[in-house]
Amino acid sequence: MRKIILATAAWIVGITAAHTALNVDWNVAFNDRLPVAKRKLYVAYIPVT
Amino acid sequence: MFQGFPEIKEALISNQMQAAFMVAPMAIALRAQGVPIKIVYLGHRYGSAVVVHKDGGVRKFEDLRGKTVAIPSRFSDERLILFRAMEKHGMTAKDIRMVEMAPPDVAGALAAKAIDAFSMGEPYPSQAERTGFGRVLFHAKEYWPDYISCVLVVRQDVIDSKPEAVQVLVDGIARSGLWLDNPPKRQKRREHAADFVGRFYFRQDPGLLRWALTKPLDRVQYQPLTPLRKDFDLIVRLMRQTGVLDRDIEFSEYIEPRFAEGAKTQTEWIYEPGDSTAK
Repeated sequence: MRKIILATAAWIVGITAAHTALNVDWNVAFNDRLPVAKRKLYVAYIPVT
Repeated sequence: MFQGFPEIKEALISNQMQAAFMVAPMAIALRAQGVPIKIVYLGHRYGSAVVVHKDGGVRKFEDLRGKTVAIPSRFSDERLILFRAMEKHGMTAKDIRMVEMAPPDVAGALAAKAIDAFSMGEPYPSQAERTGFGRVLFHAKEYWPDYISCVLVVRQDVIDSKPEAVQVLVDGIARSGLWLDNPPKRQKRREHAADFVGRFYFRQDPGLLRWALTKPLDRVQYQPLTPLRKDFDLIVRLMRQTGVLDRDIEFSEYIEPRFAEGAKTQTEWIYEPGDSTAK
């Protein structure tokens, strides 16, 4: 039983870490918390003229 | 970097992005729908083309009758250029089937003959030409002198709260345009820009971007980038005619001209390929 709980916990931690690393744009997340005057301006583009 | 204009639109509305390069009709339509944005500058001029499959049997525009043509969005100049060409050749919207497709997907779709043609911005016409399966039927400028496609839009709250940052952005684009279009140095500078942008921004083959920027050198132009009323009046008229804009909209309602005015005194970047910094 203990092994199952540990394996499940490790899986959840691993998946959570991978998700936060791959799917969360931390620059945007931190930028949103800065005072308005200090926020960076983000410019969107696609690779086409 | 995004892969399609609809995603950019959502990011701009949700304030995840504060500025964006997007097709001009989409920017106008968003403003007409009440989205608080303004067009402050152009991204470039020209740089769009209609491309057909080399073995598809399309030799002239009228041969597109009954064919399927991919466009980046209903709200795009690439769609409007098809209407201009259809009008000139006595055709109507019923003569061509238009399908919306994300720009990065069109070259593959044409190669697989899932579509008969596409109307798209660079470097996708170049990609089809370079790999050998596509042929440019016509460049946009052949039917639309002074053609524009992507424009720089900025959220109104950013214009109001950080005008100096917007000016820095517009000045940088103006200086880059002057740098790229300096006649005696265009070839070398554009090749360098293709290498740099391909590796660090577009994540595309630099050879493809070199093709798009130099074959020929006026395939995409970066001057003049000031939004002009006559160009946008034409776009609004075409949008109204083709059913993607449900009301007239004044130039001043969707254009903020002060940043383009502020950039008129800018000079090209002091930078040559190989330098460590640009001034």
